[in-house]
Amino acid sequence: MQIDQAHYHGWQGQLQSPWVACLAIVRVALLQVFRNKAYWFVLALGMLRFLAFWTIIYAVTQLSLPPDMRQQFLKLFGFSANVDADQNNGYIMFMAGQGVIVMILLAFSGSLLVGSDFRLNSLPFYLSRRIDKRHYIVGKLLAVSSVIAILTVLPALLLFFEYGMFTASTAYWVDNWRIAVSVLAFGSVICVVNSILLVTISAYLQRIVPITITWASIFLLLGRLGDLLQWSTKDDFWFLLDPWRDMRLVGRLCFGTFNRDIDRELAWWALLILTSLCTISLAALVRRVRAVEIVE
Amino acid sequence: MHLVDVQHLSRSFGNVRALRDVTLSLEPGTIGLIGNNGAGKSTLLKVLLGLLKPDSGGGTIMGCDISHGTSELRGRVGYMPEAAAIVPMLKGVEFVTFGGDLYGMPHRDARRRAHEVLNYVGLGELRYRRLEEYSAGNLQRLKLAAALVHDPQLLLLDEPTNGLDPAGRVAMLQLLEDLIAETGKSIFLCTHLLGDVERLCRQIVVLDRGTVVRAGTMSEMRDQVSNRYELSWMGPAPAFRAALVVAGVEFADPTDEGQTKVMTVVPANFSTTTFFEIARAAGAVLTELKADEENLERLFFRVTEQASQTSAAV
Repeated sequence: MQIDQAHYHGWQGQLQSPWVACLAIVRVALLQVFRNKAYWFVLALGMLRFLAFWTIIYAVTQLSLPPDMRQQFLKLFGFSANVDADQNNGYIMFMAGQGVIVMILLAFSGSLLVGSDFRLNSLPFYLSRRIDKRHYIVGKLLAVSSVIAILTVLPALLLFFEYGMFTASTAYWVDNWRIAVSVLAFGSVICVVNSILLVTISAYLQRIVPITITWASIFLLLGRLGDLLQWSTKDDFWFLLDPWRDMRLVGRLCFGTFNRDIDRELAWWALLILTSLCTISLAALVRRVRAVEIVE
Repeated sequence: MHLVDVQHLSRSFGNVRALRDVTLSLEPGTIGLIGNNGAGKSTLLKVLLGLLKPDSGGGTIMGCDISHGTSELRGRVGYMPEAAAIVPMLKGVEFVTFGGDLYGMPHRDARRRAHEVLNYVGLGELRYRRLEEYSAGNLQRLKLAAALVHDPQLLLLDEPTNGLDPAGRVAMLQLLEDLIAETGKSIFLCTHLLGDVERLCRQIVVLDRGTVVRAGTMSEMRDQVSNRYELSWMGPAPAFRAALVVAGVEFADPTDEGQTKVMTVVPANFSTTTFFEIARAAGAVLTELKADEENLERLFFRVTEQASQTSAAV
């Protein structure tokens, strides 16, 4: 029987909760990102470190070496599969090292994923459906968080999984479960803070150039400024100017390990700074997201 | 149950009062919301959809409260915005599917419906094109498809033919006409193009500076001018004209004494057969007697002018 395409057919189904639409926003956002060839280039750059570590771990674990020697070998390549004397581990260091590429990717993503909704007047398209601004904001935050997680949390967990797998023992995963928790904790902090800041900045600035300039100022300029001021005053509190360092400190706070006592104190200040920053940003974002552009 | 039932809606933006005490009761069907630019049409549409909260007043659409029941309301209403409102990098079918997802449809249903409605609006062949590659006319069709995807009972269309070339406009109007005829859906059409409303709508709301100056069916509004007749005759013009004046008939426009074609305004309870009797008595022969069908454009200017005079007098 031929399908009748010429006439209108109704639809009788049950509509789901508007919160389910948040997942659709994430799906479409990832589709938008992966459709752009420039993003593939940045993603490929971001994956280089991951592939390098993956190969190193694979190569080292294939050698018949005692565990201690294996660790030494890995350290030669700047990776530590266990928590070291400085309370660091290779997975967290890997995520921190992804900072620059994440920042670049996000600077470009902001305009595409959020700025375009404002620039092209697409907000009424979203908000005239059954979702309201809460669903829109949560959906966009999850979308940006997904982009971040693809470059940070996901590869770090894959490396953790790989090491355990190739050492042919579940003991590594069981003994080092805190590493996986620390990866998730640090990843959550990165995702939450970066997504809130990026979505808010993009909602106000909309276009790629102002977003990139502002984003770079926050994450590069402030970081260098903090280093400079700390170097000249010898006061470690100036480090708190660097949001990326703040995120690392708060990540450590979740895990509870610090290699310096001052870091523990700084971590609480970092938490206060990031919480304030996120609260102010969210308030500004809620104010900005509305279906009707009101010119007063 | 009324389709739209709102009372005393007001909404201001700073010092500008976009809506002033709007009260409306409209039956299901096709409704045209007309007014000049800045009359408050889009604001009223957005208040009805719950996108804007009114400063005062309230009401219902299909029984759903416009202030509190917006989630249920939007499940039954499809909105086609005036602005481009596209999501970059998506293809047509993905955009419409996404619209269905945002309404809360299960994703598989949304995707299937997207193909159906795209076929229906005539974009079946173009469904896999990126949105950036659509022409203005096709983009309007696409937005209509996105508004239809969840099969709403009411469509709110904000300037659906805006920016279209004549052929595109005719095609869009034809599509809407077919949709109305086939599905019986109610349509709330907001536009300043009176021809669009005249072609599609049975009920009309005229907005002027945020106030409803007239609301009703086209025939109701035309009834108010059914006392106007156009006459043409052969024979002595002055005598026939004088006889008309004696019978209480007035001339709508200033005319010359010798003119044999005039627009008249007749008194109440005036029968058209009287024209023939007066003509026979005056020695004239009527060659044309036509009730004045006021078109929407004249009607619009008349009611807005009356509203301006009333507000000036107040």
